[in-house]
Amino acid sequence: MAAERKPMSHRLRKIFPYLILVVGVMVMIWAVSFGTLPRADFAFNNGDEIQTVDPAKATGVPEGRIINALFEGLLRQHPLAVEPDENNIVPLAPTTRGVAENYSVSEDGCIYTFHLRPTARWSNKDPITAKDFVWSWRRMLHPETGSQYAYQLYYIVGAEAYNLSQVKVGDPVEVELADRKKPQQLFPRGTIVRGILTEVDEAAENFSVEVKTEKDGQVDWEGNGRPRHFTKVTAEQPGTGERCHHLLPDFESQVGIRATAGDTLVVTLNNRTPYFTDLVAFYPLYPVHRKCVEKYGNPNWTKPENIVNNGPFLLDFRRIRDRVRMSKNPAYWNAGIVQLRVVDALAIKSQTTSLNMYINGQLDWTTTVPNPIIPDLRDRADFKTAPMLTTYFYRLNVDRPPLDNRLVRQALNMAIDKEKIVDKVTKAGQLPARSFVPPGLPGFQSALCGAFDPQRARQLLAEAGFENGRGLPRIEILYNTSEGHRDIAQVIQQDWKKNLGINVILRNLEWGTFLDTLGETDYAVARSGWIGDYADANTFLDMFVTHGTNNETNWGNTDYDHLIAQAGEEKDVERRLEILHQAERILMDELPIIPIYFYRSINMVQDCVEGFSANIQDVHPLHLLRVTSYEE
Amino acid sequence: MIRFLVKRLGWMLLTIWVVYTVSFFLMRSVPGGPFASEKKIPPAIKRNIEARYKMDRPIYEQYFSHLWSTVCLDLGPSYKLEDYTVNEVIAQGFPVSASLGIFAMFFALSVGLTAGVISAVYRNSSYDLAFMLMATIGIAIPNFVLASIAVVLFVFVWPIFPAAGWGQLSQIILPAICLGAPFAGYIARLTRTGMLEVLGMDYIRTAYAKGLGTHQVVVKHALRGAILPVVSYLGPATAGILSGSLVLERIFALPGMGSHFIEAATQRDYTLAMGMVLIYTVLLFVMNTLVDLSYSMIDPRVDVEG
Repeated sequence: MAAERKPMSHRLRKIFPYLILVVGVMVMIWAVSFGTLPRADFAFNNGDEIQTVDPAKATGVPEGRIINALFEGLLRQHPLAVEPDENNIVPLAPTTRGVAENYSVSEDGCIYTFHLRPTARWSNKDPITAKDFVWSWRRMLHPETGSQYAYQLYYIVGAEAYNLSQVKVGDPVEVELADRKKPQQLFPRGTIVRGILTEVDEAAENFSVEVKTEKDGQVDWEGNGRPRHFTKVTAEQPGTGERCHHLLPDFESQVGIRATAGDTLVVTLNNRTPYFTDLVAFYPLYPVHRKCVEKYGNPNWTKPENIVNNGPFLLDFRRIRDRVRMSKNPAYWNAGIVQLRVVDALAIKSQTTSLNMYINGQLDWTTTVPNPIIPDLRDRADFKTAPMLTTYFYRLNVDRPPLDNRLVRQALNMAIDKEKIVDKVTKAGQLPARSFVPPGLPGFQSALCGAFDPQRARQLLAEAGFENGRGLPRIEILYNTSEGHRDIAQVIQQDWKKNLGINVILRNLEWGTFLDTLGETDYAVARSGWIGDYADANTFLDMFVTHGTNNETNWGNTDYDHLIAQAGEEKDVERRLEILHQAERILMDELPIIPIYFYRSINMVQDCVEGFSANIQDVHPLHLLRVTSYEE
Repeated sequence: MIRFLVKRLGWMLLTIWVVYTVSFFLMRSVPGGPFASEKKIPPAIKRNIEARYKMDRPIYEQYFSHLWSTVCLDLGPSYKLEDYTVNEVIAQGFPVSASLGIFAMFFALSVGLTAGVISAVYRNSSYDLAFMLMATIGIAIPNFVLASIAVVLFVFVWPIFPAAGWGQLSQIILPAICLGAPFAGYIARLTRTGMLEVLGMDYIRTAYAKGLGTHQVVVKHALRGAILPVVSYLGPATAGILSGSLVLERIFALPGMGSHFIEAATQRDYTLAMGMVLIYTVLLFVMNTLVDLSYSMIDPRVDVEG
C-alpha cells in the first residue's frame, strides 16, 4: 500500500463511475446492434451443424439434406408415386431427374453411359459437362482429398488402386512434381508427368519412371521415354531424385471414368453392380465446379460468396451451429418445380428445444422428437413415421467366452423379448427384428433368427453346458451414453437374468471412447446401429465378411465370405438375391450379432407443407416441398 | 499501473502456455479421435485424412508446430467444421456469447443492486423479506431448471417470447434473464450486507447530521463503499456467466461459444477445443485484471502497484 496518492489516479477515481456508465451504455448498444433476420419461407431443424458442404468430404445425414439442395448428381432419388402404398410409404428410386437426361447399361452390366442434359447449368451459368464429373470423381479419389466415402467408387475399374496409390513396376503411372503454388490444398495439382514405372523401393519413396512424351494431353505410350528418378517430399531419408508429391496409377488410362464427348460420361465397373445407380444418386458422387475449387482452394471455395453449385438452391449464408440459409437457384435446369424461395436449415441439437420451436411455429419440419413424449404425439396427423433402412443390433465379441459358443449366442437371442422393447421403450411403432437386413427391399427375402422363446433358450444354454446359467461368467453390455440405449440395455439385462440366469452388468461410455473400444473389440456385448448406404441387402451383409472394416466382432466364416463375393459377380438378379439370402441365413444362424429392432423415421411436418412423403431412406428433397400458406 | 499491467501480462502468457500444454496432451490422451465414426473408415483412407492434418507425425512435432501457429494467432483448421478455421468459428461465436453475457450481466447488476439497496435501507420490512427470499431462490435454482420453467411460462402459457433461436432481440431476453438470475440474487445479498455495514459507519452518521437526505446519503456516500464486495465478485461472476452459458446455449439453441465448446470436446475437434480453452483462459484473466483495476479506482485503500 502506498501512502501517497497521485493526483492523476485521484482524478481518474472521480470520473471512474461515469466512465463505467459510458462503457456500459456503449456495450449495451453493441449487444443490441445485431440485426434482425427475416423468417425464411420454410424452416426446418437439420439436427446438427453440418461438417461441410463439400460433397466429396461430407458423410452424415444432416449434410445430405443440405448437399441434396445445393448440388445435383447424374441421377436423383425421387419418389416414384404420388400416393403412398399400404404401409404409408412412397417408394424412392434413382431416376433421371438429375443432370443425366438418360443412361444406358451394357449387356454385361459393367458399362454405364450417361448422357447429360444440355440445359443443366452451374449457378454461374457455365454448362455442366462430362468433364466436370471426371474431374470431381478424380478429386474424390485423390489420396490427398481424404474422402471418407471414396470406397463408393471402388466398383469402378482402377478406382481403388488410384485411391490407395497402389502401383507396381510396369504400370502406367502419373507423378506430381513438387511445384505447387499452394502446398496445402485439397486436390492440389502441380505439374504431372506420366510414364511407365520401372523401379520402386519398398516404401514407395524413391522410384524411377520412364516418362513418355505428351502432346495435347495425349501420351505416346508406345514411343520411347526418358528415364527419370524421383523422391517423395515426405520421404524419411532425403533421396537423390527429383522431388515429387504423389505416385499414382495413370488416371486417364487406368481408371474407368471417361468423358467421350462433352455430354457423354462412360463408366466401366469391375463387376455387375445392380445398385450402382443408387450410388450415383448418393451425394458423395455429386460434381463440384473445377474452376471454383482451383481458384479458392480448400476450404474457401465452400464460402457462400465463392461457391459455385448446380442444385435447386443457392447458399446465402451460414452461421455456425445456428443455420444454413438457402435461396432458390434461378439457373437450376428444373427451377420451375421449386416453390420455396428461402429455406433455413437450423442446427438445433436439443430435441426438446426443436419440438418447442415446432409447436411455437418457428419450425415447419422437425426431424427429431424426444422419445418419452412420442406416445402423446403419435396420433397427431402431423406426426409422420415410416419404416427405415436401419437396424438396431447388438454386436457379440465371438472371441470372448462364453460368446465363442454359437449355442450361447442363439440362447441369448431367444431370451430377449424384442416386442417388449419396441412397445415399452422405443414406442414409435418400430418393428422387432429377427433378421439383419430390414424389410422393404424389393425382391429380397430375409433369413430369420430364432423368435423369443425362453424355454428353448434355456435348452440351448443347457446343450452348451451351462444349465440354468451355471458356470457362466458375468456378461457386460457396452453402450454409448444415452437414455434410450440404457433403457433397452436394462430390458435385455432383466430378460437374460430372468430367462437364462445370467448376471449382466451395464457399462456406458462417451461416444468417442465407445467407438475406440468397439474398434479394438475390447467388449463382450456392444450396442450398434447401421444405416443402409443404398437400397440393397449388400450394404448390410458385406460388413460381416472376415476382417471387414466394420465387422468388429472377430467373427469370420469362409462360406459367408464366398457367398458375398459370389453375389458381387452374379449376373442374374433373382439368383443374386438368393445368394445374399443364403449369406444372411449363415449370419442369423451363427449370430455374431443380435438384431433388436428396425428403426422408424420420425418427422413432424406442419399441415401447410405439401409434397412430404415418407420413404424407407428418409430422404425428403427440399425442392419438392411446397408451402400452401405462411403463418406469420 | 503500467508496471502492474506488464506484470499481469507476463503471468497471463505463462498461464496460457501451461494451459495450452496441459490441454494439448490431455486431449490426445483421451480415447477416440476426430475421425472416429460408427461407420468405420477403411484404414488406408484414414491414413490419408490423418496425413492431411499432420496427425501422422510424432506428437512432439505436432505440439511444436501447432504451438508456433498459435503464437502467430492462427489456431488452425477445425477438424469437424471442415469449411471453417478455428479463428472463424470464434469470430462468429464470440459476439453471440458476449452479447448474451452482457445482457445477463446488465440484468444481474441492475436488479441485484436495486434490490440490495432497497432491502438494506428498509431492512426488516416486507420488501426486504420478499427480495431476499427471491434472491435465495434465484441462487438455489440451477439456471437450466429456471430456463425450463421460463420456457413453460413465457413461451407456452403466456406466449410473449419465441422458444429458442438467434437472430432477433426478443430471442436474447429469456436466456439472458435465466443466465443472470442467480447472479442477481447473489449481488442483491452482497449489496445488502455491504450497505448495512456502511450505513452504521460514523461518516454516514455525519452526513445525516449535516442534514443530507436519505437519497443523497445512500447514492453519494454509502453506495460507493457498499458495492466493493460486489465489484470483487464481478470477476468470479463473469467466469460464472461464461461457463453457465454452456448449458443455456444448448437449451435456447444459441450459436455461441458454449455450444462450440461442448461440441468440440465431444467430437474430439482438437483444434477447436484448444481454441475455446485458450479464449476462456484469456477472457477470465482479462476480466480479473479489470476487476482488480476498478477495485483500486473505487477504494482508495487499494493500490495495485503495491
